[in-house]
Amino acid sequence: MSKHTTAIFCEAHPEPPFWRVQFETLNLPRPGCFLLADFGGPLREVLFPAGLSAGGFSVLVPPGHPVQRLLPGETVDLLGPFGRGFQTEQVERLLLVAEAHLLPPLLPLLEAAPMVTLVLAAPTRALLPPARRFPPSVELHLITQDGSVGYAGTLETCHGADSPLLEAVQWADRICASCDSAFYPKLARIVRQQRLNPPANFAQALIQIAMPCGVGACEVCRVQTVNGERRACTDGPVFDVLDFGL
Amino acid sequence: MIELAPNHKFGLPIATPVMPAAGAFGYGDEYHDLVDYRCLGALVTHPISLHPRRAAHPPRIILRGETLLIHTGHPNPGLNAILRQFRELWARLGLPVILHVLAANPAEMVEVVDKLAGETAIHGIELGLDEHTSVEKALALLRSIRLNSDFPVIVRLPFSGVATLAQPLAEAGVDALTLTSPPRGVLPLPEASGDGSPPLMRGRLYGPALFPLLLHQLHTWIPRLPVPVIACGGISSTADARACLALGASAVQLDAVVWRHPDLLATIAKELAYDAGNTAL
Ligand code: FES
Repeated sequence: MSKHTTAIFCEAHPEPPFWRVQFETLNLPRPGCFLLADFGGPLREVLFPAGLSAGGFSVLVPPGHPVQRLLPGETVDLLGPFGRGFQTEQVERLLLVAEAHLLPPLLPLLEAAPMVTLVLAAPTRALLPPARRFPPSVELHLITQDGSVGYAGTLETCHGADSPLLEAVQWADRICASCDSAFYPKLARIVRQQRLNPPANFAQALIQIAMPCGVGACEVCRVQTVNGERRACTDGPVFDVLDFGL
Repeated sequence: MIELAPNHKFGLPIATPVMPAAGAFGYGDEYHDLVDYRCLGALVTHPISLHPRRAAHPPRIILRGETLLIHTGHPNPGLNAILRQFRELWARLGLPVILHVLAANPAEMVEVVDKLAGETAIHGIELGLDEHTSVEKALALLRSIRLNSDFPVIVRLPFSGVATLAQPLAEAGVDALTLTSPPRGVLPLPEASGDGSPPLMRGRLYGPALFPLLLHQLHTWIPRLPVPVIACGGISSTADARACLALGASAVQLDAVVWRHPDLLATIAKELAYDAGNTAL
């Protein structure tokens, strides 16, 4: 099937700190996979789905994004879906780990397993989405750098005895993370410490970096892994977190 | 057919004057879901070096208006790995494959062409020269290909080196010249604060702003050069391609615009074919 497709812009509404933008299309990306959208700039923009339904998907974009200038019914030129997404089949206890500004690609997974725990970090309470946005079945653990709500600290420093992250890693049978890539070697260490012989893809990490071509042609998206350099667009953007730390 | 190497014993005929530029299109069929390869005159590979090269440290791309600054470091797994992975695919592609080669010195170039001996799926070499290449080094690299292989040789000239390199290379028997590789540029990193001198990123410039610079180069140099010239830099429409051909370019290469509009390669090829009275494409 051609990877050149279109989506119809339906509507956009504020969902602070983002805007949620709804598209209709037949070519639906899996969670963690991405589309390249042409909004008129010199490069296409990477879109990760933040919501999926039968006939379309939604994305979360920052305020002022060019997509807000579209009129309902306008078509957007898309390439994709591309990449290797999250694998969450046959998972009972799913742990999601995210920094608040990188959370959107994990949102389609909030109901991907019977039991879902979300560990969500932000510098301060005001930068966290309100708890009512999440399905009631999701167990939410918050981490704020200033201690304004939840555990005081960052994902990087969240490894004390009372750390919600360590406990959740022990509990989960799958982890999906969307964080700054500098955190992934640390997450790999935590996984190795908390789990004996974690199977491949037990913990999956999404890399969000520039991906101009999406097909492995430009070499802009290379990431360093323990197995050498890989392309985020074709080898990822979801990787086994153990690829980032022995 | 357009002949890119009229003075070469085998020649390098291409069916359409449109091809991707080195660094824009990967090594083989990365775009098989998006591009009609039958419309391409040739496949020009990503830059390939004798030994593996690692990627430059991120960030590797900065956007400024319509202009892109890119510094990838030309990562590639090295010639042996590339040949292992792609030679069968190239043989099946049904179009000329031009290997874009980076070589640090003539000895390395000799090793490269030795490894290419007997590679029937490769139809030509495009030698990439950097901004600091002297005339002596450029001629020595060309000689090391000529003396050790039968491949038609195209040299992609650095933007700032056309005036010094083009004529000596043409006189030394290069088959064709690509004008030019992307000019170099520097930009402050976007996240840099206003205090002190900002960290800078150096790289190659892409985008439609380069097109007038390309036309200037073509206008200046094509009348003085006795070899075919391939135009490269900022071409982003059929009108741009027509302007290059009107100035005497034999073919055009599309670079970063392919990432946004992969179908532009086929669109331009079809429209140029239509201009030439060929509606079969
Ligand atoms: S986005 Fe171009 S190689 Fe990955």
